[in-house]
Amino acid sequence: MNSWMAWLNERTGIAAWWQACRQRTAPLRCRTLASWPSVILFLFFLEAVTGLVLWMYYSPSAQTAWESVYYLQYEVLGGGLLRALHYHGGQVLLAVLGIYVLHMLFRWAYRAPREVVFWLAVLLVLVTLGVLLTGDLLAWSQRGYWSTNVRTNFLLLIPGIGEPLRRLAIGGPEMGHLTLTRFFALHAGLLSAVFAGLLWLHAKALRRADAAEEAAGRPGYPLWPVQTAVNALACAVALGVVLVLAATGVELGSPRDPIDAYAAARPDWYFIGVYQFANYFPGSLKIIPIFVVPGAIVLLYLAMPFIGRTLAGHVFNLLAAFGLLAAAAVLSWIALAHDRDNAAHQASLRAEAETAQRVRQLIQAKGIPPTGALALLWDDPKTQGPKLFKQHCASCHDYNGGPAPILSEKPSAPDLYGLASVPWLTGFLDRKQLTFNPPAEELSPTNRPKYFGNTKFRDGKMAAFLRDDLPEVLKDIDDGPAQFKKLIEALAAEASAKPGHKPPEDVLALFEDFTCTSSGCHHFHGQGQLGTAPDLTGYGSREWLIGIISDPAHKRFYGARNDRMPSYAPAGQPDQHILTPRQVEMLADWLRGQWYEPAAVAE
Amino acid sequence: MAESSPTPPIACGLCGGAPPEEPRRGFLARLVALGLGAAAYLTPVVAGLAAFLNPLRQKSQAGQFVRLASLETLDTTPRKVAVIMDRTDAWNLYPKQPVGAVWLRKVGPKEVKALHVVCPHAGCFIDYDAAAGQFVCPCHLAHFDLDGKRLEANSSSPRDMDALEVDYETQGGTTYVRVKFQNFRIGTAEKIEA
Repeated sequence: MNSWMAWLNERTGIAAWWQACRQRTAPLRCRTLASWPSVILFLFFLEAVTGLVLWMYYSPSAQTAWESVYYLQYEVLGGGLLRALHYHGGQVLLAVLGIYVLHMLFRWAYRAPREVVFWLAVLLVLVTLGVLLTGDLLAWSQRGYWSTNVRTNFLLLIPGIGEPLRRLAIGGPEMGHLTLTRFFALHAGLLSAVFAGLLWLHAKALRRADAAEEAAGRPGYPLWPVQTAVNALACAVALGVVLVLAATGVELGSPRDPIDAYAAARPDWYFIGVYQFANYFPGSLKIIPIFVVPGAIVLLYLAMPFIGRTLAGHVFNLLAAFGLLAAAAVLSWIALAHDRDNAAHQASLRAEAETAQRVRQLIQAKGIPPTGALALLWDDPKTQGPKLFKQHCASCHDYNGGPAPILSEKPSAPDLYGLASVPWLTGFLDRKQLTFNPPAEELSPTNRPKYFGNTKFRDGKMAAFLRDDLPEVLKDIDDGPAQFKKLIEALAAEASAKPGHKPPEDVLALFEDFTCTSSGCHHFHGQGQLGTAPDLTGYGSREWLIGIISDPAHKRFYGARNDRMPSYAPAGQPDQHILTPRQVEMLADWLRGQWYEPAAVAE
Repeated sequence: MAESSPTPPIACGLCGGAPPEEPRRGFLARLVALGLGAAAYLTPVVAGLAAFLNPLRQKSQAGQFVRLASLETLDTTPRKVAVIMDRTDAWNLYPKQPVGAVWLRKVGPKEVKALHVVCPHAGCFIDYDAAAGQFVCPCHLAHFDLDGKRLEANSSSPRDMDALEVDYETQGGTTYVRVKFQNFRIGTAEKIEA
């Protein structure tokens, strides 16, 4: 031994320690059982190392948590892999702890003198659950946020202390910045430290129990090198499992939206059984599946070393443990099968995945503003348009087309899909289609009032004009039907014309000839007058749509004849606004199909 | 509590029962124990290191021309002008933010000299001492003349103040001064783009 080793050894006793390590013995039981603690220590190391680097990139606040994770995932070399290792490592750690506990049970290795060894393993399972549940929220994604919201609300089920308990858990009356800082401190600080402490105690208890058994006459065998090799092999296998899982990645999802609850939020695999179990109980009794039964199961496990003193008790423990495992498996399967066959659940998953993809497109195009990635989604017509339409327009209007048609329960106003396009206008100017209104019981996605069928304009001047006057007008004009087509095309062109443009004289004459303007009903670029029927100047353009959504009762649109449409943002009356001016703009842009799309990637 | 069972009640086929006394497998076992163990423990360390070292592969923002002032508002005494640009900080894009400042001074009727306010010594912001008519860095008292030349023979600054490229742009009869704003490495005698 060279001199500096001797120097070090003199001060630390490291040689004696190493010698003691190499000479450690344990009673022969089962190599696999003996290797679990090594695997647990290894996985804890993996979590600690990956977690530390994640910590260097993580910023816990409502505007930066998701954003910083996004940056790590997509901008940092190996960041996605690091996150996947940390996430799946945690899942595997929980699974290994569960298997360890069951293995101890199976081998009757939890009775005297190993009660404390067993208890500490059970406690490690509980602490790991705490670590995973607090970690679940940190990315501040829709899934993590809304499932944590449900979980923390379950605390309210506990009589008396439920409300203060929930406040303490989320750091205030509502979830926000302080929930993140609190969960982060619990996840990376307190609970992880408790885990490390329990693991250390577990190792101590294990050695003590081994020594006690050897003292009682069981032969011991050396742990070095064969058992150590088995341990290393077990760690390598565990790492292999984590790597295979990590290769599938870990989703980030879309940033949490506090006004768009995510319906498909489900707990991870370890709680999906409890989730399904709770579904069998009415609201007033939810405390039973959420707290009473799981609490009783934990108590049962803690009592098992005493129950298992006799063979009969041991058999009871085994039946209970594996029975509960089987029950959890069946419940989980029922829940997963139910979700798989549930169209609404699948639609919710798809919508979330689309939002996640959309926010990535927006970030790549515009960068994340200081107000966070959610601000990009809240300002995106493609994302907000359908939501606003469903919430504010679909009680009367259909949007019956495109990849995701929106159908009204009781359609009463025009279908706005393809509004002001040539096909839409052609249908509008056909009296049958304009006034078509099937009986409510015959409504189907293809059999619906498309225009004025269910409005008071069904018997209005426009319908009367199409019935009584248009045939005459068409006869009077040279080449009437062709001119009529030209009129429709000219009107459709208004939607995309620049503000302030002036159509050519022959177009103005067309509107005159077809009596649109000469009748005094419509206004069109200085001809005719406002006040009877909507202005045809810029018909269907962004500016026109914003105008009619903001205030259809304005004299430029329906004026006093307005049927039932609310004024969503009347000018000069901010207290009357149902939508913000920006929301009106986004609705108009969405109806016109105007939103940011990334350029197709060149092959 | 003294009872203890000498044999496990259920044997599993995986481990075999005989106490291991296997000197010939010793070498293989040692190799597996140390080699595989080390490989397992190193894997997360390597993954963590890759992400930890990420800052090394990031480039700083390239210099770009920014309009700073109109020519007529400048004088022969230096004026400090803020540089407003989009700034990226990790995941955030801050639109139109002050990102730094430049000393601008007229050196001819239609010519301007631009000096970076950041001192090449340790990155403090250099002030202008109007009474003395020189620049001075308040942190370690390096003095510079109006052209940014060091005035002390043993100045704490390793190089003169960093001059920036200037060009001019006329719009609606007004001439604007544009400066290529970029940062240079601190502490070196040569001017190296940061």
